[in-house]
Amino acid sequence: MRRYLLNRLGQVVLTLIIYITLVYFLLQAMPGDITQMYLANPRIPQAAREELQKQLGLDQGVVMQYLNYLKNFFSGELGVSFSHYPRPVWDILMERLPRTFVLFLTAHVLSFYLGYLLGRIIAWRRGKVVDYAATVVGITFWTAFYPLLSLVLIWVFAYTLKLLPLNQFIEPRLWQGAPFPTNTVFGYMVYGGGAVAVGLFLVFYAFLRGLKRSRRNTARAWLSAFAIIAVALAVAWRTGLLVYIWDIASHMILPVCTLTLISFAGTMLLMRDSMLETVQEDYVMAARAKGLPDTIVRDRYAARTAMLPTVTSLVLSLASSMSGGLVTETMFSWPGLGQILFHSALANDYPLATGALAFTGVFLLIAHFVADILYAVLDPRITYAGQPAVEG
Amino acid sequence: MDTLLKLDDFTMHYRTKAGWVQAVDGVTLSLARGQALGLVGESGCGKTSVAMSIMKLLPYNSKVVRGRILFEDRDIYSMSDEEVRRMRWKGIAMIFQAAMNSLNPVYRVGNQIVEAIVTHEPETSEREARERVASLFELVGIPKERVDHYPHEYSGGMKQRAVIAMALACNPKLVIADEPTTALDVIVQDKILREIDQIRRKINMSMIYISHDVSVIAEVSDVVAVMYAGKLVEMGPADNVFKKPRHPYTCGLMMAYPSILGDKHELATIPGEPPNLLDPPAGCRFHPRCDRASVECREADPVWRAVAEGHYTACHNPVEITGTWSEAVKALNGGERLGASSNA
Ligand SMILES: Nc1ncnc2c1ncn2[C@@H]1O[C@H](COP(=O)(O)OP(=O)(O)OP(=O)(O)O)[C@@H](O)[C@H]1O
Ligand SMILES: [Mg+2]
Repeated sequence: MRRYLLNRLGQVVLTLIIYITLVYFLLQAMPGDITQMYLANPRIPQAAREELQKQLGLDQGVVMQYLNYLKNFFSGELGVSFSHYPRPVWDILMERLPRTFVLFLTAHVLSFYLGYLLGRIIAWRRGKVVDYAATVVGITFWTAFYPLLSLVLIWVFAYTLKLLPLNQFIEPRLWQGAPFPTNTVFGYMVYGGGAVAVGLFLVFYAFLRGLKRSRRNTARAWLSAFAIIAVALAVAWRTGLLVYIWDIASHMILPVCTLTLISFAGTMLLMRDSMLETVQEDYVMAARAKGLPDTIVRDRYAARTAMLPTVTSLVLSLASSMSGGLVTETMFSWPGLGQILFHSALANDYPLATGALAFTGVFLLIAHFVADILYAVLDPRITYAGQPAVEG
Repeated sequence: MDTLLKLDDFTMHYRTKAGWVQAVDGVTLSLARGQALGLVGESGCGKTSVAMSIMKLLPYNSKVVRGRILFEDRDIYSMSDEEVRRMRWKGIAMIFQAAMNSLNPVYRVGNQIVEAIVTHEPETSEREARERVASLFELVGIPKERVDHYPHEYSGGMKQRAVIAMALACNPKLVIADEPTTALDVIVQDKILREIDQIRRKINMSMIYISHDVSVIAEVSDVVAVMYAGKLVEMGPADNVFKKPRHPYTCGLMMAYPSILGDKHELATIPGEPPNLLDPPAGCRFHPRCDRASVECREADPVWRAVAEGHYTACHNPVEITGTWSEAVKALNGGERLGASSNA
């Protein structure tokens, strides 16, 4: 397993180098260069022009420029943004990245889980009313025109019912004179959310790990889960963070729901298809013969093996999140990576555009890497380099 | 005799595009506690269908046309789903024909057995269940440390043994073994069959062995039932049936496999093919392949009747073997028809 991972990591780095090379030369090939504005400007004195050329490193050859770019990239030096001068690109990206990441991760995990749950139910009840209903509803959303769907949802929930905020990341009026900066609150939110998620996972794992699920342990697991959430909320309340957290969270609801609605059918139908095959397997029949309760046969036998192909779809959906991200972030004015990429490209802000693109690539590569690991954990039959990926 | 399982005129058909497949037709038999029944017949004659009917695991396109199946005097087709669920594995366990594929590939083998135990015996702790699995593995001859391996790490024979261990896990009253050893070589096959038989005797379990190979059945069964094209054609104590078979089909099957009684004879296949169950022949279903068939056989369905104590057959012209089976076979190889003297 370790050798496999190292190998894979090597491949990831190699792919990354190829990718950022492509990004570099693509942007180089783009017409209209901000530097030309200064370098070709006759009103700037020759000496200043040469100085500027030197500063920008344009006096060196293309190869040298490219090598410098590589060196800077891997030492985390992404330069200074033109359009947000003098903020460093790294700073801007680091501010935007978590926002995009949290929004899309939430949406994708939710849509994946919803699709998985529905898929396994409708496959189990194939040909029944639930099957048709879920398929029709799912496909309707799946094929809906995405910007239109977001507009409809915004119109219904934000404009007409006034239940949710229209767009953006925060409600500026609320934050005037707030004791915390937005990014700090968002950071707390991410870390706190992460900690709660890990806590919940551990609780369920500890109580429901065995093959024997007594009612008492189930009750304990749920009680502890509620306790963890209650404590987290109480802490947020006491520190006065809760209102601000809720403000950010409520701004996330509409985009997350739109993304979920539009994409859950993919996982659902994939899961249904895959499970219609596994229900025919002999071990599912054997599980039924063993007298296991119906839900266990469904979840542990038919659905468990059927979910393997859907993991690929999860990763692909994560991968496509960047392009979808652009539309979503524009529709909901969500200040994330997609938006910055769009604006920087329009503004000829090369350092920022390059950085944003490079980050998108890193994102995708990590997603694929995670998928490989997930696969190995989920399917013990997969062996890497002749050894089972998971020991014994 | 304490009856454990009883099939009463049980008839089950499959719906297909081409029509109804009459896979099980009027099967009547009963099995006592601790008894081993061998169900034998050619491929496609409905043996697995009978087994699945007993487990109440029939596919959605099946239909029970008439008859009942009683397990411990209760009609399993009028039990609720929950009652059936509890009956499975605790009452009736099964070793599937596709034993190789009846293990979930993504769970450790031991866990799959523990799961069955703790489901049916909630009072058993997981640790006790694990101990029982270890002793079951010892019983079927799998090294203990294999408990935590995945199915793909097992050899075919080990999977087969694991499936047998799984069937025995809840001390069932009846185990149905559908060709439990077909995937193994002959030596291992024999060994495993004997092992199962020993275990059966030790814990006084009933057993239904299913095979197309009479020699396999003969070794381990108390009672033998011969099935042809969805119907039982002969049933009786193993000794009787194999020494003095009455139905021509039984004789044909016995000639087709190496002898069970130790005598050497040339293997002879039964001419022709089993009928299409969509539209089985009228009268006796075997008549197109039977060299003793008369007009009666073509027209009338033979009745199921006793020919000796506990020995039944459904044949208009039953075979009458006067000497021993080997003499009859010798005579046959010399050109005579089986039991020709009795049949004018
Ligand atoms: N699900 C099904 N749908 C339709 N027909 C079926 C189905 N299962 C079995 N059959 C048909 O029923 C008949 C009996 O099949 P069954 O599997 O019971 O035979 P078998 O005696 O177990 O054969 P084998 O020795 O090959 O396992 C066959 O003609 C088969 O084609
Ligand atoms: Mg069969």
